[in-house]
Amino acid sequence: MKTSVVVKSSALVGVLALAAACGGSSGSSSSSAAASGAAGGSGGGSGKSVTLTFWHNSTTGAGKAFWDKTAADFTAAHPNVKIKVQAIQNEDLDGKLQTALNAGSGPDIFLQRGGGKMAAMAKAGQLMDITGVITDATKKVIPDAALAANSIDGKTYAMPVAVLPGGFWYSKDVFKKAGITTNPTTVAELQADVQKIKGAGTSAIALGAKDAWPAAHWYYFFALRECSPDTLSKAASSMTFDDPCWLKAGQDLQSFAATKPYNPGFLTTSAQQGAGSSAGLVANHKAAMELMGAWDPGVIGSLTPDKKPLADLDWFPFPEVSGGQGKPGSILGGIDGYSCSAKADKQACGDFMNYIATTPVQEGYYKAFAAPPVNTEAQAVVTEPYLKNVVKAYSSAPFVSEWLDTVYGQNVGNALNVAVVDLLAGKTDPAGVVKAVSAAAKKA
Amino acid sequence: MAAHSEGTSAAAPTRTGVVGGGGSAAVALPPARRRSRGSGSWRARLEIALLSAPALVVFLAFVIFPVAMAAYYGFFDWHGYGKATDFVGFRNYTTILEDPDFHSALLHNGLIVVFSLVIQGPLSILLALLLNRRMRGQSLLRVLLFVPYVIAEVVVGTGWSLMLQTDGAVNGLLQKAGFTALKTDWLSSPSVAIWTLIGIITWKYVGFAVIIMLAGLQGIPTELNEAAAIDGASYWQIQRRITLPLLGPTLRIWAFLSIIGALQLFDLTYIVWGQYISSTAGTSTMATYMVSNGRNAGAFGYGNAVAVVLFLISLVVALIYQRFVLRRDTQGALTGGGR
Repeated sequence: MKTSVVVKSSALVGVLALAAACGGSSGSSSSSAAASGAAGGSGGGSGKSVTLTFWHNSTTGAGKAFWDKTAADFTAAHPNVKIKVQAIQNEDLDGKLQTALNAGSGPDIFLQRGGGKMAAMAKAGQLMDITGVITDATKKVIPDAALAANSIDGKTYAMPVAVLPGGFWYSKDVFKKAGITTNPTTVAELQADVQKIKGAGTSAIALGAKDAWPAAHWYYFFALRECSPDTLSKAASSMTFDDPCWLKAGQDLQSFAATKPYNPGFLTTSAQQGAGSSAGLVANHKAAMELMGAWDPGVIGSLTPDKKPLADLDWFPFPEVSGGQGKPGSILGGIDGYSCSAKADKQACGDFMNYIATTPVQEGYYKAFAAPPVNTEAQAVVTEPYLKNVVKAYSSAPFVSEWLDTVYGQNVGNALNVAVVDLLAGKTDPAGVVKAVSAAAKKA
Repeated sequence: MAAHSEGTSAAAPTRTGVVGGGGSAAVALPPARRRSRGSGSWRARLEIALLSAPALVVFLAFVIFPVAMAAYYGFFDWHGYGKATDFVGFRNYTTILEDPDFHSALLHNGLIVVFSLVIQGPLSILLALLLNRRMRGQSLLRVLLFVPYVIAEVVVGTGWSLMLQTDGAVNGLLQKAGFTALKTDWLSSPSVAIWTLIGIITWKYVGFAVIIMLAGLQGIPTELNEAAAIDGASYWQIQRRITLPLLGPTLRIWAFLSIIGALQLFDLTYIVWGQYISSTAGTSTMATYMVSNGRNAGAFGYGNAVAVVLFLISLVVALIYQRFVLRRDTQGALTGGGR
């Protein structure tokens, strides 16, 4: 479903907005003014008056202000295009959007979470193919891979706005207290560090398995290390999981989990809600680290006692696994974007898509949401060391995969997530995970 | 109205033998009476039609239509966007019936039905007997027992899920009281979690049962108890021979509500165990199965088919219960109704 993506994106847009609001985002206003000039060249299309409705999910703070300003700036540069912005609470957005699209009264522009849902919308003919309207200027600053992540059969259905790769978010203080001076680069080193941290009296790894997808991240990363890029990509279309690397990934996770690295009661710990959630445990120094996407700094920041970004936060990538077929340095990461409805005015909506990809708008996006922007020029203004590390690891990765539950679609993705939780609970074995995923693939 | 009920009570004895034998009952009525009913009937019917039309329209639009649509979508591999086009016949239904996860959800529903009846029934009768006596603080006790039922499921679920965490209040209390051996993983251990759920359900719904039982008790004439006491019956004899039999109709109605509620249980499980791990923890129900395999999996056609199965199971149970258990209580009220 991307239920996982739903929740992840809620983190991104909803919660990061909070963090951004707290962290101070004074810079976005000036950059947006510059942006309107930059995009002004594409002109007002045919000159007829067009109104576009626009749904996003930032109901508070800097995120909401960012989209209001972006829409107003766009109208200033394209006087014949009015954008009616509507912020819809994140958890309500998907259902409302689905109903509206089916009723033929959907918005012209809306948040796109990709994956199975995007495929279902495209199949139902509800999305505009924006391949032809993407300008060369946009292609220059938005990486091909990011556009490809929002494409099906060579047709692009959404404009990416943020990259959200995964890795370990950790507290430098807790690491120091446990006597850890360098970040682990292999799973064996990670295991040794886990024991050191536990010895120092803190939970080592926070895991919110109640939401299933955070637990499944562990399997995705082991699969990324064990399986070749080819196997991962082929599985997306063939929906067959008979390569032995899938089983090996499950075995890796099972033996890693056997060392009890996770917080007690992780099966009923949620990911992002309250101080007792996995992000909350990191925010309050009750756990040393969490494997999560790049929206996590904002989530952690919103759960610290003073609601400010965690001062000693840092990041390292998922360690390498010896003997795996994955390319070392490969990374998993989601991409959030915006789609045009098939019924929207092609010229006006296309212009807006190109506009939100421009460098000044993307810089504003980063400042409002504290998330790495997808625009390569805008990435240069990122200041937080941990976000810089993330961007660096992302741009130098030899292979980038979307979160596997997104890649394999809602049905298989959901089955995969639940099966991984079953594995961690001891209810199934690595073979059971592969079996559950294959069974779901047959249903799809 | 009076004529109507008189007619049905006359018909009832003949009906017990023949299902749907309304015709023979009508013949048994005096001819004069039939004529008087018949002459005003077009007007009566018009009135009935006019007065019930708004309610009927709402009922059709918001109950019958959605049920019909669920049945329709259940035949498709539909992912929720656009029109349902991939007709798959009964494939969704065969998948449901073959899915071990559905079997265990069904089993959990069964356990919840049985333990709701077995625990809450006797407990609520005892408490109702206790609260039915004159004593100090009676009203306060009644309120305290009823409060959990009034609190929203979301609040109850959130509260218990926080208290039952591994490092939550319940384990903390056990530790402090010296019962360290009793500390356990209340929510995630599959052998414990289902009992945790049944415990929360009992805590939440026993107050409702007590209130219903109390209402039943108050309907029993005190003269009967007094007469029995004069004849030398002990307190327990009176309860066993008089109170319990007379409480029968109340008990049967409560059990009916309890069974249907238990079959459709969703909110407590969903809130305490979340969207994903109820099947891992062994607390899934048919309704949580419907959501996780329907909406969460983006398989809306499949989810609709599960909804239909859940509806049919509840309907069959309700009909069987009405036919065989509630029959004597509802004669002339629910099962009568013919002319």
